Amino acid sequence: MKGILSVMGRELRAFFFSPLAYIVAALLLVVNGLVFWLIVSYLNDPRAQFGAPLELFFGQTLYFWLVLLFVAPVLTMRLLSEERRSGTIEVLMTAPVTEGQVVTGKYLAALLFYCFLWLPTLAYPALLAYYSEVDWGPVLAGYLGVLGIGALFLSVGLLASSLTKSQLVAAILTFAMLIPLFTFGLLENLFSDAPIREALSYLNLWQHMAELGKGIVDTRHLVYYLSATVLFVFLSARALESRKWR
Amino acid sequence: MIDAQDLTRRYGEFTAVDGISFTVDEGEIVGMLGPNGAGKTTTLRMITGFLPPTDGHLTVGGRDLFSDPVAARREVGYLPENVALYPEMRVSEYLHYRAMLEGLGRGESKSRISEAVQSCFLEEVENQIIGTLSKGYRQRVGLAAAILHQPSVLVLDEPTVGLDPKQIIAIRELIRELGHKQTLLLSSHILPEVELLCDRVIIIDRGRIVAEGSPQDLQDSWVGNTILRVELKAGPEEALAILGRLPGVVDIEVLAGDASCYRLECTKGADPRQAVFEAAKERGWVLLELAREQASLEEIFVRLTTQEPVAGSVQVEVDDGARNQGQEEVPS
Repeated sequence: MKGILSVMGRELRAFFFSPLAYIVAALLLVVNGLVFWLIVSYLNDPRAQFGAPLELFFGQTLYFWLVLLFVAPVLTMRLLSEERRSGTIEVLMTAPVTEGQVVTGKYLAALLFYCFLWLPTLAYPALLAYYSEVDWGPVLAGYLGVLGIGALFLSVGLLASSLTKSQLVAAILTFAMLIPLFTFGLLENLFSDAPIREALSYLNLWQHMAELGKGIVDTRHLVYYLSATVLFVFLSARALESRKWR
Repeated sequence: MIDAQDLTRRYGEFTAVDGISFTVDEGEIVGMLGPNGAGKTTTLRMITGFLPPTDGHLTVGGRDLFSDPVAARREVGYLPENVALYPEMRVSEYLHYRAMLEGLGRGESKSRISEAVQSCFLEEVENQIIGTLSKGYRQRVGLAAAILHQPSVLVLDEPTVGLDPKQIIAIRELIRELGHKQTLLLSSHILPEVELLCDRVIIIDRGRIVAEGSPQDLQDSWVGNTILRVELKAGPEEALAILGRLPGVVDIEVLAGDASCYRLECTKGADPRQAVFEAAKERGWVLLELAREQASLEEIFVRLTTQEPVAGSVQVEVDDGARNQGQEEVPS
């Protein structure tokens, strides 16, 4: 536990000291702010369909996904590849900590920083609550989705980062893995076979977010995020260990 | 403290370390010497638990690196080659982080850190960001971090590489100081350094131990015949005849370029210096210089590690000789 905490602490500190993290934070805020503003002004139009602004905000715009697909590689690309490039991995792996502890610590740091990035968006429901009524259930479910899908994406990034010494390669690899992960489910409507549709729907992240935004929490989806995340974190630990038998 | 038996490490087809066996006793300072690519770093990485050996048996501080890796790692302090640090951290932050990684308690780590900072002379830079430090200071930060948990064995990989002469002296001073308290294994490709710092030297080349022993032992066993340099004012023929007949002298030649300089090759262990002096006194020669030349560790090193691929068969002989020699000298 102490091993995980010390690795996590150092990693969090590194996040807060790196300019890149602030660029990502700024970008996320600008895009989210813009989207929120667009949604609110659209819904203010009397001719618009009836809807809850935050239901649209969570995953029903392309911006949400674009930003997520960008944030995950940027946050995770440094995690293990930089340690390997600079050689600090040698110090880390000769300390009395295991590969699993190192990987877990780093992953948790990325996840915490990701949560920190979303923290300011709490201002949107607060604003809405000030001017009208907010149904908090769906808002909470929406944030649960943001957390779950973020956790999944970050674990993919962690794995990519464990495979290479280059941050750039890690980021590109993450992106390359996230694209199919995100788009496969969207192909759902192209198929008419029930089993295939069912399977793709299980992977359809957009659909998941739509449901969560409405306040429908389907535990199957949460199980999907969690199990995939655990798998990727586990694979990262194995990749880190692979130096031993190469 | 360190007991390595038949350590072997292969990277795919390439064998980096090929069946190395050696021991390091408590309180010893042992230097591992070899040209670049000889397998020094790989050997050290196995001892520190970073890489498992492909084959062989290894215990550190009595703990087996296979069955009890985390405990064995606790016994070792390690300064890797090209000391890798996190450039964005402050020195004190980094030391705290390392103390925590080693599992030291809060109070304990505080006192250990201040001890390490003191013994590595880091007081002035304690609050500086590591990225702004000079190479010499970084080396010291690495050392301080390696001794934080008071390991029973300290492993240093090329501790003086890339430093300027002044920094080298400072680091050597520090290493010698640490050597009083700890068992120390260091690698280097710089001979005088090893000669200066170490009680015992292990010379490795192409993944094998080619010689082992104290610097003095190595010199004695590898020097071969003693060489005397004599400069005197005398008739060249007379001098050649008389000196050549002295007991122990096998060969004599006039050194090129200077007719009054002679090079006497004597049998191993023989010391005809007194005889030379007495001969000169008897004949009234003026003796200008009388010196015994010793093969330096440098020559031995070059001789042991420079191998022409053609001289393969000869090499095997030398190799075996060295092995037997090495085994005799392993302290039990």
